[in-house]
Amino acid sequence: MAATTFETAAPPRRVARSPWRDALRRFLRKRAAVVCLFFLLVVYLSGLLAPWVAPYDFRAQDLDSASQGPSLSHPLGTDRLGRDVFSRMIWGARTAAIVSIAAVATGSLVLGLVLGSMAGYFGKWVDTIIMRIGDIFLAFPGLLLVIFIAATLKPRAVALAVAMEDRLGVQGIVASGVVDYFVVFGALALFGWVGMARLVRGIMLSLKESQFVEAARALGANPWRIIFRHMLPNAMGPIIVTISMAMGGTVTSEVVLSWLGIGIQPPNPSWGTMLWENQGMLRSNPHLLLVPAALVAAVIFAFNILGDGLNDALNPRSR
Amino acid sequence: MLAYILRRLLWVPVVLIVVSFVTFALGVYGPGDPITLRLGQHANPTDVARIRAELGLDRPFLTQYRDYVDNVIHGDLGQSLVFRGRPVADLLFPKIWVSMQLGLVAIAIAVGIGVPLGLTAALRQGTWRDTGIVSGALLLYVMPAFILAPILLYVFAYRLHWVPAAGWGGLFDGRIIMPAVVLGLPGIAGITRLMRASTLEVIGQDYVRTARAKGLLPRRINYVHIGRNAILPVVTVVGLSLATLVEGAFITETIFGIPGVGRLAVESLFARDYPVVMALTLLVAAGYVMVNLAVDIAYSILDPRIRYR
Amino acid sequence: MLRSRLALLVVALVVVFALVFVGLAIGLVAGLGGKASPDGPSPPAQTPSGNPDGTPLPGGGSPAAPSTGELRILGADPPTLDPHLAGDVDSATYIVEVFSGLVTLDRDLKVVPDIAAKWETTDEVTWTFSLRSGVRFHNNKLVTARDFKYSFERACDPRTASTTAHTYLGDITGCTDKLNGVAREVRGVVAVDDATLRITIDAPKVYFIQKLTYPTAFVLDEANVRSGSAWTLRPNGTGPFKLREWKPGESLILERNDAYYRAPAKLQRVRFILSGGSSITMYENNEIDVSGVGLTDIDRVLDPGNPLNKELINSPELSVGYIGFNTSKAPFDDVKVRQAFNYAVDKRKIVSVVLKDLVEAAAGILPPGLPGYSKDIKGLEYDPAKAKQLLAESKYKTPQGMGRIVITIPGTGTALPPTSEAIIQQWKDNLGVTVEIQQVEFATFLQDLNRGTFQAFEIGWVADYPDPQNFLDLLFHSGSLENRAYFADPEVDRILDQARTEKDEPKRLALYRQVEQMIVDKAPWLPLWHGRGYILVKPYIKGWYIAPLVVPFFKDISIVGR
Repeated sequence: MAATTFETAAPPRRVARSPWRDALRRFLRKRAAVVCLFFLLVVYLSGLLAPWVAPYDFRAQDLDSASQGPSLSHPLGTDRLGRDVFSRMIWGARTAAIVSIAAVATGSLVLGLVLGSMAGYFGKWVDTIIMRIGDIFLAFPGLLLVIFIAATLKPRAVALAVAMEDRLGVQGIVASGVVDYFVVFGALALFGWVGMARLVRGIMLSLKESQFVEAARALGANPWRIIFRHMLPNAMGPIIVTISMAMGGTVTSEVVLSWLGIGIQPPNPSWGTMLWENQGMLRSNPHLLLVPAALVAAVIFAFNILGDGLNDALNPRSR
Repeated sequence: MLAYILRRLLWVPVVLIVVSFVTFALGVYGPGDPITLRLGQHANPTDVARIRAELGLDRPFLTQYRDYVDNVIHGDLGQSLVFRGRPVADLLFPKIWVSMQLGLVAIAIAVGIGVPLGLTAALRQGTWRDTGIVSGALLLYVMPAFILAPILLYVFAYRLHWVPAAGWGGLFDGRIIMPAVVLGLPGIAGITRLMRASTLEVIGQDYVRTARAKGLLPRRINYVHIGRNAILPVVTVVGLSLATLVEGAFITETIFGIPGVGRLAVESLFARDYPVVMALTLLVAAGYVMVNLAVDIAYSILDPRIRYR
Repeated sequence: MLRSRLALLVVALVVVFALVFVGLAIGLVAGLGGKASPDGPSPPAQTPSGNPDGTPLPGGGSPAAPSTGELRILGADPPTLDPHLAGDVDSATYIVEVFSGLVTLDRDLKVVPDIAAKWETTDEVTWTFSLRSGVRFHNNKLVTARDFKYSFERACDPRTASTTAHTYLGDITGCTDKLNGVAREVRGVVAVDDATLRITIDAPKVYFIQKLTYPTAFVLDEANVRSGSAWTLRPNGTGPFKLREWKPGESLILERNDAYYRAPAKLQRVRFILSGGSSITMYENNEIDVSGVGLTDIDRVLDPGNPLNKELINSPELSVGYIGFNTSKAPFDDVKVRQAFNYAVDKRKIVSVVLKDLVEAAAGILPPGLPGYSKDIKGLEYDPAKAKQLLAESKYKTPQGMGRIVITIPGTGTALPPTSEAIIQQWKDNLGVTVEIQQVEFATFLQDLNRGTFQAFEIGWVADYPDPQNFLDLLFHSGSLENRAYFADPEVDRILDQARTEKDEPKRLALYRQVEQMIVDKAPWLPLWHGRGYILVKPYIKGWYIAPLVVPFFKDISIVGR
């Protein structure tokens, strides 16, 4: 400790403490949530970077070394066609990442935010219409409809894409499975927006009467500007938490759809397809089933812990 | 209050019409045809056209829809296209009953274990018990049924022979244990966390402090004052999930061989058995709307601070 | 609060890893336990959980005295029990036990008399059947030729909306006309008197008699059918079993018909458990007496050290799985391309590695066990060099010249993506061709298959009746509606036409052998494999065999020494 000289110093600069930085500090103190965030970032990033990260191509078959346990060249073993399990897990992460991000981005974020804000801010009949439509969506037996859409409309969408490709002289778009992703996360988004919309609406309703909103309105600001610049930033807490939970839910849905055979189709990898292909392997090669199962469980688990942590950080309650 | 209920009830037929219209349209215009499916590889245009005409499937969409609505209003849900000649009601209701029994036991397990766990976790907040309970519950939640079920089956049915492997014998038969457990376990997580959060909120309330200050027995406080108030959100959630009982649980039913409605729903979907799919969609939609209303009413009775205009 | 969240995470991770570890451990132990341990799966001596209420015959059992006893087996809920509406195996399984017709098939798939004591034909156009005397319905009413006339009329009635009448009865004069509303009666069926039935068909066809073994040709009691729309719940049939009870989704029980006109069944009852479950687990728990074996358990069961292995029987199914090429669309309109695709696939390796030899690799079209099958058929066996050469010789010359190629397979549980993926990989490795795979749900798949929009598709074909005509004519004749490869070869057509009317059986089969080789060489298909059935049967069940087609056979099963 250096001796402090008694000098007349300028008063120490005050760093403005925004509520965001407070929240960040609270969050960083929750080590479990931070670890989960880290874990998820690792999984998602390696998934998105799969073409460069995975040691083997996920399609590379080697019938001569099929169904082997973990070894030096294949850290997690090989499946029935001799494909490297570790690489397929990473590519599966890519699918999960793309689908969950896309579904949540379109569904919860775009649809849910916009519609919920409209319902909350404008009120009256806009509110009623939007909420009633949401009710109708919720009234549908969700899984059935998603299955129906994915099973029946997907081939039509793919056929359309193929026709387009032929007309434009391009190739490879359909083969990469993008159309699959589109239909699957489109279907998921279609049913995922309602929860977010309701949440945002509730927040809008309570914020509508606050003074800063009145002030903005008095100044003649455009309603959309008010919503997006002034109100929503104050609502980010619960919104972020909901997004985190929704991501976990979307991963589950994608896995179930692929397990039913109507999600992402082979050879494009998906944890769900891996689970389905190996579901009977419990007694012969259990690692083929348990490894993807454990990873899926871990990811959903992590999203939940993360969500809890974010919740505590962003909505502190005095105990 | 009465006016509010009536207004909400008016909404029910609207929802049903929209839901049924969309589903019907998807069925008629969507790819795949039940008759082609029945004929399999022997399908040829002549036979398909003939049988479709015979069963009235080639009439214009609106005509078919109008007839369908007409029949439903008179209580006739139509006949299955796959189980030829069998009325849909005959097929559907016994299976719904089975699924409901299973679902109720699963909910009972989830609530019966989740509520006390959540209460304990909240009362011992911050301790190892709290942490252990919450993480344990969460772990149960993240295992998909088609992983959990084979593992449990293998351990308890095959190796230990504690329970039979599959089949259905009714509410009081031993075979209900495994599937109800598989269905209920994930629910424990939700109920536990909900109960815990709700209890924590209640504990912070003034009247609890008053009760403690008054020197009431901790036990009495816990159960009477805290417990009863904290259980409110759980009631909501349980109520809402009652509506999903009608949907059944496809994966669990398939693995355990339960003749429930979840399996019927998905199988009918793939077999394009439209009458069954329509009936099911209508029932689920109706159930959802009614249950929603019931929960709202229950809430307003339980919590005098809520008033509906 | 600092520690609690971290602790939560640590606990969670430990539990997840423990789960994986435990799972692996169980898997290992199970693997060991199956081989050496003396108390592996429960031995039959244990008390079964569902007690049969019959007593076994003391040793040996004379063939005349039927043993009592109940056979338990898993079954599927039949879509219908109406013989005219049943187009699927599940329904047919029960129908052939409760109803019967003029003729049926024996264990060797030969046509034998059933209700018809004998039949004769001089020109294969007019068939005259003499009915047995004393044949009764389950309610004791006598069966006459007029009942058959009624049954055929009902089957060909458009109001019945039968999906099978056209396939099995369409050859009968007047049947198709009645179906299409042009005629009011099936003129080709005449009840000459109470005990004689004459059927006339549209052209000489030797194989016609085979078609009469199918449920669409069974006899119904008119009073029974007219008794109400739920008559199938109380059917009045003529078969070796009566329908005792049917709780849809739960169980279906057949009870022996003691007044059966042939030797009565040996079993007292057959109980089908319809609610499903894991068949092999229930078998090991002694809840059922017979079980199928799936791909996931086949390793265990094939292991000679496993006690289950002694209870395993297997035999060929009359089926062929294949990849079909649409010969009317590029690039499969060039025969060299099709042949190249054939030569590029190492079927035998795929069958042994991926399918664990559960099925038999197919060289030709006809499956073993079918009359007309020959081991000498020369298939297009794996030869990558030849494949490349053929492709270069084709009009497309290079993989790029062929444009986009898509193969469509039915998804949702009916196909095995791993095998399709292996095949596609081999095409890539050996030909340099990238084929895209589309997995489509079955109903959509069928619809598009009928429209002929696929370039290549994977599917299977199971015999409707045991005759090579059912495979070769139906699937490859240019005039056949089931010819999904749109294969048209005048020489093949000529031989098929000739075989239709050839009366000398050895000559007829020789014709089919010849045409089969021609078809294999022209490669409208890539034949993949022939199915095999694997069944576990408890040692106290006698007489069980795997019937490749749905034929009545429960009457020959008996229970001894349970």
